[in-house]
Amino acid sequence: MASSHGNTHTEAAKLEQIITEFFYKSLLIILESRSPYVSSRNYSGEQLLSSPSSSSSSSSSVRPRDKWFNLALRECPSALENIDLCRQSSFEPLVVDVILEQKPLDWEPATFSPKRDLVRNLLSKDKNSFFWNSDQEESGSETKSEKIIERWFVQHESRKGRDCNSGSRRSSSNTLCALYKKLILLLRSLYVTVRLLPAYKIFRDLNSSGQIRTLKLVPRVSSLVDSLTRKEEAEMQRFWFTPVETSCGRLCLSVLYRSSISDISSESSTPMSPQFIPDYVGSPLADPLRRFPSLPVSHSSPSSLPFSRRHSWSYDQYKASPPLVSFSPSPTHSESHALVTNPISRRLPPMPLPPEVAIAHKKNTNFDEYCPSPNFSGSPSPSPSPPIHIPGSHLSKALLRCESAPVNIPAPRLANSPALSSKQNVPPSPPLKITKAGTSQTVSNMGAVQAGATIEKLFSFGKEDCRKYSGSGVKVSSNSSQQISFSRSSSRSLQDEFDDSEFPCPFDVEDDDVTDPGSRPESYDRRGHLCDPHEAGFFMTRKSQDAAVGALVRMLKKAPPLRQDSSSSMNFSEASRPETWSNSVQDQNKISEAVTVEHAASSSIASSKFIASKTTADALEELRGYKEIKNLLLSEGSKSFTSANYASGAGYSSKGI
Amino acid sequence: MMAGILHTIVFHRALGLVRPKDVDLELFEITYVQCGDVELEKKIDEKIEQFVSWVEKHPNKKSQICVSFYEVKSKQPSWFTNKTERLYWEQWYLNLNVTQQPKPHSGKSHHSKVVLDPGESASEYRSSRRAALEASLREVLFQIIKFVNEKKDHVPPISEGVLYFPYEITIPSFPRTLCFSSSFGA
Repeated sequence: MASSHGNTHTEAAKLEQIITEFFYKSLLIILESRSPYVSSRNYSGEQLLSSPSSSSSSSSSVRPRDKWFNLALRECPSALENIDLCRQSSFEPLVVDVILEQKPLDWEPATFSPKRDLVRNLLSKDKNSFFWNSDQEESGSETKSEKIIERWFVQHESRKGRDCNSGSRRSSSNTLCALYKKLILLLRSLYVTVRLLPAYKIFRDLNSSGQIRTLKLVPRVSSLVDSLTRKEEAEMQRFWFTPVETSCGRLCLSVLYRSSISDISSESSTPMSPQFIPDYVGSPLADPLRRFPSLPVSHSSPSSLPFSRRHSWSYDQYKASPPLVSFSPSPTHSESHALVTNPISRRLPPMPLPPEVAIAHKKNTNFDEYCPSPNFSGSPSPSPSPPIHIPGSHLSKALLRCESAPVNIPAPRLANSPALSSKQNVPPSPPLKITKAGTSQTVSNMGAVQAGATIEKLFSFGKEDCRKYSGSGVKVSSNSSQQISFSRSSSRSLQDEFDDSEFPCPFDVEDDDVTDPGSRPESYDRRGHLCDPHEAGFFMTRKSQDAAVGALVRMLKKAPPLRQDSSSSMNFSEASRPETWSNSVQDQNKISEAVTVEHAASSSIASSKFIASKTTADALEELRGYKEIKNLLLSEGSKSFTSANYASGAGYSSKGI
Repeated sequence: MMAGILHTIVFHRALGLVRPKDVDLELFEITYVQCGDVELEKKIDEKIEQFVSWVEKHPNKKSQICVSFYEVKSKQPSWFTNKTERLYWEQWYLNLNVTQQPKPHSGKSHHSKVVLDPGESASEYRSSRRAALEASLREVLFQIIKFVNEKKDHVPPISEGVLYFPYEITIPSFPRTLCFSSSFGA
């Protein structure tokens, strides 16, 4: 009797231990799939890497607790905190509420901490209740909404009138083995079920996504909970696991869950509202050499704002002056301003202009960026007056556009291109080569433009142009020319242009290929001289807008012609350059001519290049804009010179198309 | 899908010490669980590949996959045979109707019995089919859980050191049925 009693007691103790461990294991399964940052996902994968797949060898690395019910899971801190509750809940139900908390949008991510999910314990010894909740109040959010999306019930229903400790004669090892086996199956089913329920999707999304979300899953473990309202229960479905009979009762496991939490979870997919991050990836400080996509950024205006604000000098200017882009080659671009503006704003990537420009300037390899963006969908058609009053923003915009343009910058051709009708995709640098008469004047006049740093960028772009401008002695003060050049640039990143080793360094005085044979050799030295200081100070400081514009104009003027548009444009530019330089007059009225000439030249030069990068339709569109601008400008400038330029430019544009 | 169903079944019958491994289906928002046993996964994958090849050669044909769990009973050797007897204690039958997409751009085969409105556009058609498939898959997995929970007494006792019970996956074959079986896995 004593032995049997002892055996019974032992078996009762074993039964109690099994039940307790079952409580803990079920709690662990639920919590590790609902508590953020704690998951057994791929836990086995990590273990298997270190140990063979055989169970015998893997058991060596298994913690003793993992062996319970043959289900090795990663430890869950929240489950460990509730282990006492599990022990005490052998005869009391264990209720786990999975709460979906929605924080307000003004939730501070900095204050977010995983510890919030680990709750302060409010242990009531009287009731053996263990209630914990996340300390959301520390987040600073005043209001948050909670919604119970799941409620798990784990309980051992004792048979009335039966005491487990008394031991049933039926309690035998076989019974315990059978019970253990059934509990293994039950826990297997529980493990699969927790991953099939809708809440698991939320858990997975919250865990996997690095975004700061307004939703959070908070498991809440307790023994006594308030019953759900009828409405809540009506919205939920219940899933019963088949109870497992024990010697003194039965173990029941069930769950109340919301089947339609997609409407709730869809809100979680919305990340936090964009916030300005000063040290974002891709910032000038972080990655000045970063390339920017050439895709239109129509939707990214809010996101690009942080980037732009960092260099508000450029971006704001973009926004301020729509007509900038229109100053690309064609002088006839009248209404293309607005059109150009949109593409500019659209295509304005969140790029730190100054550093990139600086880098581009350093490399001086690619004159493409220098070209105004023919990529602008709207044909850049500056109004008659705008060319004169080109604010620096125009230039900035053009600069942004430059980054996208694989611009080829043979200055002479560009200058010769009165082919203002040429595609707007033509590289901008040629247009800045105001080879026409009066371009020098315009260049100098352009100094009044507020391009500022953009002009500096143009210096980096236009190798020959830089030389020319320096040679001409014209102050790079014209924003218009810079604008023109920038407006022609495509949407490619500046960096792309700079990286293009196809074009020699603008400051490479030895490179005569792209320059006119007879072009001012003296200007090379001067250009180099001029460019060097610019280059030096390019990244460091921001010159005055006037000086920058003037430098840009000079650079554009002296930009080598496009390869394709070789002879005619170069000849024309040659012819016009002396005229241009000779007429280096600080005449605001000539800016329009210079602009148009530059547009024509750059368009012709860039046309060949932009063909590859831009569609013909875009080029034609820009060309139309340029034409309109040109027409407007022609009415103001010298008719004879402009018409001549226009004629040549038209020829180049048609050739380029 | 097949992998999800098969692994779920086997996971419930791999009563040895396992480290469950979660697998997220690419097509659906469903996560199923594997045993974490590499050998088992490999065998199931092989079986699935065989089944897929069969389906590709027999499009739009109903098929059935049988997952059988058995016990090996040593039979008293007789004059002619000295074989062991298999005592099947559980069999799962998966009835599948794999349909091929009629459109050329979609070469996928779907396990579906849903009839869709032919007036739907291609994308809507695919999305609706996918949603239906996901729902049916989820339902199948829940059914497995229910079946596993309802009957537990017939499961043989767990042997020490044994990861999963011997099982057999039967798929339709070309001329005859190919059987793939696995004995005790350890």
